[in-house]
Amino acid sequence: MKTRTLTPPACLMNRPEAGVTPPSGSWRLSWALGERDYSILIERRACFVCLGLLVALLAVSLLSLCLGTLTLSPREALAGVFGHGDPVNAFVVQELRLVRLAAGVATGAAFSLSGCLMQTLARNRLATPGIVGIDNGATAFAVASVVGLGTSLAPPPMALAGAATATAITFALANDVGTRGYRFIVTGIGVGAVFGALTQLLMARVAIDTANAAYPWTVGSLNARDGAALVWLWCGLAIGLVVACYLSRAMRILRFSDAVAQGLGYRVRACRYTALVVSVALAALAVAVAGPVGLVGLIGPEIARQLSSHRGVSLIASALSGAIVMVAADLVGRLLLAPIEVPVGIVTAIVGAPFLLWILLRPAPRFQS
Amino acid sequence: MTEPMSRERSSFRERSSLLNLMLVLLASLLLVGVTSLLLGAGDVGPLAAWSVLTGGGSDEARFVVESLRLPRTLIGVAVGMALGVAGSLIQAVARNPLAEPGLLGVSAGSALAVAIALVLGASAATLRISVAQLGALAGCLFVLAMARVNGVGNDPVRLVLAGAILSGLLGALTSLLLLVDQRSADEIRFWVIGSLAGRRLEDLRAILPSLLFAGVLIVAIARPLAALALGERVAVGLGHHPRWIRLLCVIAVAILVGAATAVAGPIAFVGLVVPFVARALAGPDIRRTLWLALPLGPIMILCADILARLLVAPSEMPLGVITALVGAPVLIAVVRAHRLPAL
Repeated sequence: MKTRTLTPPACLMNRPEAGVTPPSGSWRLSWALGERDYSILIERRACFVCLGLLVALLAVSLLSLCLGTLTLSPREALAGVFGHGDPVNAFVVQELRLVRLAAGVATGAAFSLSGCLMQTLARNRLATPGIVGIDNGATAFAVASVVGLGTSLAPPPMALAGAATATAITFALANDVGTRGYRFIVTGIGVGAVFGALTQLLMARVAIDTANAAYPWTVGSLNARDGAALVWLWCGLAIGLVVACYLSRAMRILRFSDAVAQGLGYRVRACRYTALVVSVALAALAVAVAGPVGLVGLIGPEIARQLSSHRGVSLIASALSGAIVMVAADLVGRLLLAPIEVPVGIVTAIVGAPFLLWILLRPAPRFQS
Repeated sequence: MTEPMSRERSSFRERSSLLNLMLVLLASLLLVGVTSLLLGAGDVGPLAAWSVLTGGGSDEARFVVESLRLPRTLIGVAVGMALGVAGSLIQAVARNPLAEPGLLGVSAGSALAVAIALVLGASAATLRISVAQLGALAGCLFVLAMARVNGVGNDPVRLVLAGAILSGLLGALTSLLLLVDQRSADEIRFWVIGSLAGRRLEDLRAILPSLLFAGVLIVAIARPLAALALGERVAVGLGHHPRWIRLLCVIAVAILVGAATAVAGPIAFVGLVVPFVARALAGPDIRRTLWLALPLGPIMILCADILARLLVAPSEMPLGVITALVGAPVLIAVVRAHRLPAL
């Protein structure tokens, strides 16, 4: 196989040491900072996949800015983004669609990244926060904060608390059966059912107006996103992406047995806890914006996995494809039955459930045994 | 010489213990039923309701007890029996202690069928029952077909997972249909969440024939089903036809779940908890489980209904919420058991 070294930009000093050649299909970037030499390997395929997904995300976003009750040409939409052109168009694009788009991209990326992290750390393809009941826990607490249950905390911190509670319960219950098999998943479904029932109980206890205010959380919709929660989510997503990049090497090793990972010098426990905290926090913040649209956390990583090579855990690609799925699902939900809006949670459920069944029913892949 | 006698004695003891159990359960069902007549969200308190039961009482109390609480209680009894028995049957036929009509998507299938029929313009109450039963049958067959793919049926937990996903899908489709058609949404909004509120005695009368038919069917297949629990070969050796038994069993489940869903809406977890308790009380024999399911199902539904009335009085709560609060922990307990009890 041919190998190629990248000529780095001027700011990076390339020092190809003798005898060190990057493995096939990847670039090696190395530079010196002070006394030490640093180098990273970049997989060429992962790079191209991410670029392709980014382009696709931009295309879907542009579509989502253009289409709706008021159809705009791409040029009008772009002019609207920067506040030029027709003031009505500018208002529609800036005030309505752009915020919605920001919410869609952020929630999709957060759900998907969170799902990918949890799948890897639990070594279970079905273990995403939406399926093991963590989303429902976050929802129950967020609804509790909206219907005013003697607490004045805003939805995002309440969602964080709820997600942490649900995680603690699910993982504690799984302590002796492990997180690998289907039992873990069904335990999580049970926990999720309890929290779902609690949500309904809360909704039933309050006046109908308050219940309506909390309704988007129960189906999953980008319609009632709240500005403050969105800011929380973007901050969380930024931190989460940085941590995820930092963890990506460790996550790759965590897929093997603990003994292997420890032998290679990874602190397995610390890595796993960090990944769990990031995953749960991202899921909770995303729920605070859009409600439980957890199936995105399953579809996004799966698309990324199909596109990327087997070697890595493609965290960035997962986040990008999750964002694409979310924006596209929201677009479909808006257009499908216009002027009625189908909540994005229903669209993802209808698309995601057959996919989930396929994962469950297909013959067991050999490499997973 | 002594052996047959001792066997006879032990079987006599078992039978009498089953009888005692049934008596205790029937007594508690009576108690719960009377409680359900006495308690309610409105102004008519337990004392006023009691005086109605003993033949007196004001007109208002008489109206509340006789026209609101009595139909509700009777329908709760019928729905509870149907769901409890259906749960026991589907567990026996899937050989899976986690199988449950609500979790496997059978109730969701019948809800979707009703929603489709309403969107297509149907509205008659009798049509609704047969449609719900057809939907339940389709859901049952789909789940059993799924159980044959790649050995899903051999892994009880995996089958339940597939069923949960299926019912999520069917539920999403139902909500999509209701979004499309506002008229039918208004018509079944209070039905689709699962509740006993506001049901009339005519609803009970409409489902009674199918419940009786299912009862006859179950009496016919109870013995072969118990043989099937010993294994397919044993059942064949005893002269039964496993394929036919399973088919009849599925039809009975569809009739029962369809009827219950048509009246009360989809209610999950009853069919999981009832056989679980019945097996804990009387052992794994399917015939005993079925007997005990008859009082246990109504007890669970009526208790849940009383709570649904009282917890958020003066408004109402979906019945499924209470059953989920009870049933989900049972689900977790069964999943966590180190060896799943084989059925």
